[in-house]
Amino acid sequence: MRKSVSKLVAVAAAAALVLSGCGGGGSNTTSTTAAGGDTTTEASAENGGAAENVTPAGDPITDLVTWETTNREIETFNILYSQLATDLQVLTNLTDGLLSADAHGNLIPALAEEWGSEDGGITWTFKLREGVKWVDVNGNEKADCNAQDFITGLEWILNYHKNDSANTSMPIELIKGAGDYYEYTKSLSAEEAQSMDNSKFLEMVGLSAPDDYTLVYTCVSEKPYFDTVTLYNCLYPAPKALIDELGVDGFKAMNNENMWYNGCYTMTSYIQGNEKVMTKNPMYWDQDCTLFDTVTVKMVESKDVLYNLYQSGEIDNVDLTESNLTTINNNPNNEYYNQLVERRPTKYSYQIHFVYAKNNEDGSADTNWNTAVKNTAFRQSWYYGLDLETFYARTNAINPLKCENNAYTMKGLVTMSDGTEYVSYVENLLGLKAYDGETMRRLDATKAQELKAQAMEELSAQGVTFPIAVDYYIQAGNQTAIDTATVLKQAISNTLGDDYVTLNIKTYVSSLAKEVREPRLASFYINGWGADYGDPQNYLGQETYGEDNAYYSVNYSLANELTEADGEIYEIYNKFTEMVNAANAINDDLDARYKAYAEAEAYMLQNALVVPCYYDIQWQLTRVNDYTKSNAMYGIQNTKYKNWETSVDAYTTEQYDAIAAAFEASAN
Amino acid sequence: MEEKKQKNYDELFSFAEYSPEEAERSGYSDYSYWKAVFQSFLKKKTAVALSVIFLGLVIFSFVALAIGKYDYSSLIADTKLAFIQPNGEYWFGTDNLGRDYWCQVWFAAQTSIKLALIVALGECALGVTIGCIWGYVRSLDRFFTELYNLINNVPMIIYMTLIALLIGQSFLIMAISLIAFNWLTMARNVRNLVMMYRDREYNLASRCLGTSVGRILVKNIFPYLISVIILRLALSIPGTITLESTLSYLGLGLGIDTPSLGVLLRNARSYFLDYPYLLIFPAVIVSVITVTFYLIGNAFSDAADPRNHV
Amino acid sequence: MAKYTIKRLLQSFVTVLIVVTIVFLLLRLLPTDYYFTEDQLMKFTDQQKHDALEAAGLLDSPGKQLIRFYGQLLHFDFGQSRRIQNGVAVTKVIGSKFAVSMRLGMISLGIALVVGVTMGIIQARFKDKIPDHIGTAYTIFVNAVPGLVSYSLVLIFGSRVLGLPSMYSTRRVAESSILPIVCLAMTSIAFYALWTRRYMVDEINKDYIKLARVKGMSTKSIMVKHVLRNAFVPLAQYLPASLLLTISGSLLVEKFFSVPGMGPLLTDAIGRYDTNVVQTLVILYASLGIIGVFLGDVLMMLIDPRIKLVDDGGTR
Repeated sequence: MRKSVSKLVAVAAAAALVLSGCGGGGSNTTSTTAAGGDTTTEASAENGGAAENVTPAGDPITDLVTWETTNREIETFNILYSQLATDLQVLTNLTDGLLSADAHGNLIPALAEEWGSEDGGITWTFKLREGVKWVDVNGNEKADCNAQDFITGLEWILNYHKNDSANTSMPIELIKGAGDYYEYTKSLSAEEAQSMDNSKFLEMVGLSAPDDYTLVYTCVSEKPYFDTVTLYNCLYPAPKALIDELGVDGFKAMNNENMWYNGCYTMTSYIQGNEKVMTKNPMYWDQDCTLFDTVTVKMVESKDVLYNLYQSGEIDNVDLTESNLTTINNNPNNEYYNQLVERRPTKYSYQIHFVYAKNNEDGSADTNWNTAVKNTAFRQSWYYGLDLETFYARTNAINPLKCENNAYTMKGLVTMSDGTEYVSYVENLLGLKAYDGETMRRLDATKAQELKAQAMEELSAQGVTFPIAVDYYIQAGNQTAIDTATVLKQAISNTLGDDYVTLNIKTYVSSLAKEVREPRLASFYINGWGADYGDPQNYLGQETYGEDNAYYSVNYSLANELTEADGEIYEIYNKFTEMVNAANAINDDLDARYKAYAEAEAYMLQNALVVPCYYDIQWQLTRVNDYTKSNAMYGIQNTKYKNWETSVDAYTTEQYDAIAAAFEASAN
Repeated sequence: MEEKKQKNYDELFSFAEYSPEEAERSGYSDYSYWKAVFQSFLKKKTAVALSVIFLGLVIFSFVALAIGKYDYSSLIADTKLAFIQPNGEYWFGTDNLGRDYWCQVWFAAQTSIKLALIVALGECALGVTIGCIWGYVRSLDRFFTELYNLINNVPMIIYMTLIALLIGQSFLIMAISLIAFNWLTMARNVRNLVMMYRDREYNLASRCLGTSVGRILVKNIFPYLISVIILRLALSIPGTITLESTLSYLGLGLGIDTPSLGVLLRNARSYFLDYPYLLIFPAVIVSVITVTFYLIGNAFSDAADPRNHV
Repeated sequence: MAKYTIKRLLQSFVTVLIVVTIVFLLLRLLPTDYYFTEDQLMKFTDQQKHDALEAAGLLDSPGKQLIRFYGQLLHFDFGQSRRIQNGVAVTKVIGSKFAVSMRLGMISLGIALVVGVTMGIIQARFKDKIPDHIGTAYTIFVNAVPGLVSYSLVLIFGSRVLGLPSMYSTRRVAESSILPIVCLAMTSIAFYALWTRRYMVDEINKDYIKLARVKGMSTKSIMVKHVLRNAFVPLAQYLPASLLLTISGSLLVEKFFSVPGMGPLLTDAIGRYDTNVVQTLVILYASLGIIGVFLGDVLMMLIDPRIKLVDDGGTR
């Protein structure tokens, strides 16, 4: 295992097809609670890579000014500790990890120049770049960044008394000995654990450094997607010398002025709730990339003030609110009419997750709903009958149907060796009609009517009373969410019928998990899942039956509580689980693996265990070419302000359409 | 010593038997406090006009809902009809979801007025009662002062968050919790005044004549409080509406089924540059309520001051 | 007087202690899940949650936690923030923010005093004439329109018409402070104008003023020497507290203009369940509030010698 690397694959853009393909990286498994159009968009960064052959609109911007809402202010500078997308979208600019991704989501080298696995994904070897420096906030060199820093970083994460269990789940799941080391440090006193050096760690955990520029990870079993996890902060480096200098508590609570940087920017000014200024790192390893001289992130109270800021030229991009968009789009003479451009989808795939064990507010089981939702025809009538076009219009008023999501896995997560994208393969299996911009692709009114009649008949026999009350929860005080829910209610009433189901919109004050999920009050959730790593397992594995790490089955749908007595639904879940596990066992042939997953996914969707809901595609005015940003469906790196193409004159709709077309063409 | 003094008093004074008829006879005049208040209030033309306007507004909010073309409870969201300017079909236009704004505004106006009035009356009842006891009973002064400090110094937002999390959100909960905070100011004002008037000579005399505490408070002191109480009441009404909108903004407001003017105003913030009518209608109604109450309050408080009655 | 002061300060100390104890216990009413973010709840197993809570000492009984908390307070240790700025001492979090709030608050208070009191005087002087009506109209307008709306109007007007920056910026402090200060002062001006007018009108009707008139004093000197001075006494009581509490900033104004001050801190801390920050803020605000009232009493006494704080055994 030590002697490594005979066939390390140098990765150019073509690397997409090699190895685990353009598989995922360990991004934060962020599942976003969606209330329709109200997902907080990640402010605006994604990281670039592929240069496109479209003529830029104007001179590039040298000092970018962008924005974020104040409720998404960062909480820590310690990238090893943070688990919040809001933190990581900033911190990813300050520290680099082993790999990165280009605009098509392909893995590209970062601190590691070459990497690969020879034994089907058990041991992974990374050849590190030489000459990478840690610098302080002013860009002065502090130390070399080498393999020892990655060891220190992982030790910090797995040490219970150093990182308070944050970010441990993926390393423990993937890397040999990681769980044991975590438990071991937990058994120690805080002083003992905090004063540990790396020797015990190297002895116990499957990570070693044959020399200062080589890293070898050993996984618990074949993990063909392990390299995609390196895009996630759980495998990021930490400078040992800095920890020694600041002490454990000091390193936990470090700030922009005393931390060290190896990323493309240093944060030269941080005023909480007001603004952050990032300045180009003069010692950055990638001297050929395009960086801004400075990036300023302004914190605004709400999106309502953004448009005003954009008009006065204070920011370079703006997400349009409902009223902005309506006004501009309805008036061809508006100065921004020709500058409306569509964002790329966020990396979340939103689903309607049914709950199979719902309670009433008094704590008793809601038998009416629970019986109904276990009926296959009932669920399928949602799948074929529920027309969500008006609901999509809340997110995207101009092209609502572009938001239609018909799969469980996010588009662009993985691609097969012949260039077939995984999700389009699933869609083929489902036999959907092509996108026509008229109606939703999966709708089938006749079939839905039959299913509804069937469900009503079967359920009436089981004592279910109609209309069935459906409880849907949104956050109080969030008017966008309330409006979206109102539209959803109307859509359900229009297309499923008031004699069948009625939606009750209810609210929680601050925490969905604590106020709704724990007491099991909702009939369904609309939630988005962003991948941790580049493999369908990360999606489908959340829905399997009878497994503790199936996140949705355990926490949301509560499908894990189904029993044999529940009949058909129990069998469907079991069959689906078998299919997923069979796919997961295929490690030698990635195409076969993906196809097996696709079969499982199609089976799940045909039985409407969950109903795919939407992609988040909004409209904006911008001076940034989104198609040059890094765009992996996993990992934390999509918000890196690197290799972005910009133009001092805002992009026009026409230019963006051309860019998008060229981009799609270059993908295949 | 004490005993001796007591004896002296006993020798010098003896209690006069209290006889209501006698008392009434000696004090008779055809002066009735409330009559005088109303007489003097009715003389102020503008104030009367404003009261009529306010009453009219309340009545109209019911009429408006009845004559409107759409019923609040059966509004349909249809984004194709969004942001229609006021016209013959939609008298106040439509909102961002294409729902008739007219019935929303009037429905919200009813909610807000109801809430404001309930809170105002509630805080008044509670505040005046506690304020009187606080000011009159010396031994309770420390207790109430401490209680005041305790409640007043814990930021309200903490209470409101906990209430919303632990109990829930509804009209009733909102009304009760607002009363539970607002009585403080009222009680403190009342207490200060009661302390001022408590030991005035005429009250001493009254006490000597054996008048009960309750009667002293109600008949002798209360009239002096009326003007202050009314003014506070008048200010509390816009205060409640504003506070409610701030709380809604923080997600701690009324439930989503009960729109209030505060909520409409908050929402209009996102749209008013492009669609000013969404702001103007609720804002005008809030302003009418506030202005009328402020001016009525001032007039009534002048009228209620017994010094102006002679 | 010294004895009285000490007694009152001791009392205040006890009040603050009780207040913070209540808040401390209230915060522990909620389930421990509130210590975690939605993301953490999603990723943590029950064991990890347990571990994290245990490490932070949050699984002890509230009584035990309270005693530990008192112990820390003795050393003026207010603990570390969990969510506002992870691991950073609460005092440091507050330290980086309060100066901004205070500066804006003081300036706007100063403006409000000057403008508001002048307005009140003019209104009282020309009671029921045009200036009075204008002033009343302003007061009513400010009270009638909820802050959410009026601040939006100021923001839009200021930035579009006057071209002022609509966001607070540390690089253009003076310019970018204008709009927040206007918003802050707007409400306080109405407050001071309203009450100055009210108290002055009350005072003008008093007998001694009538006498002064009869004696032939000029209206101006009556207004300034007698009416204003007496009318200012009840206002003076609020001054020190308002001055001290400028430190707490204004929730809405600071949010609107992205001022990096104390205003949104309390709601943020509650929202993120950052208990140490909440507790420290409560201690701070309660102390300042109580000290403010005390100083208000003292100030009132200085302006009006008839008022006595200490019962000197004379009249009752």
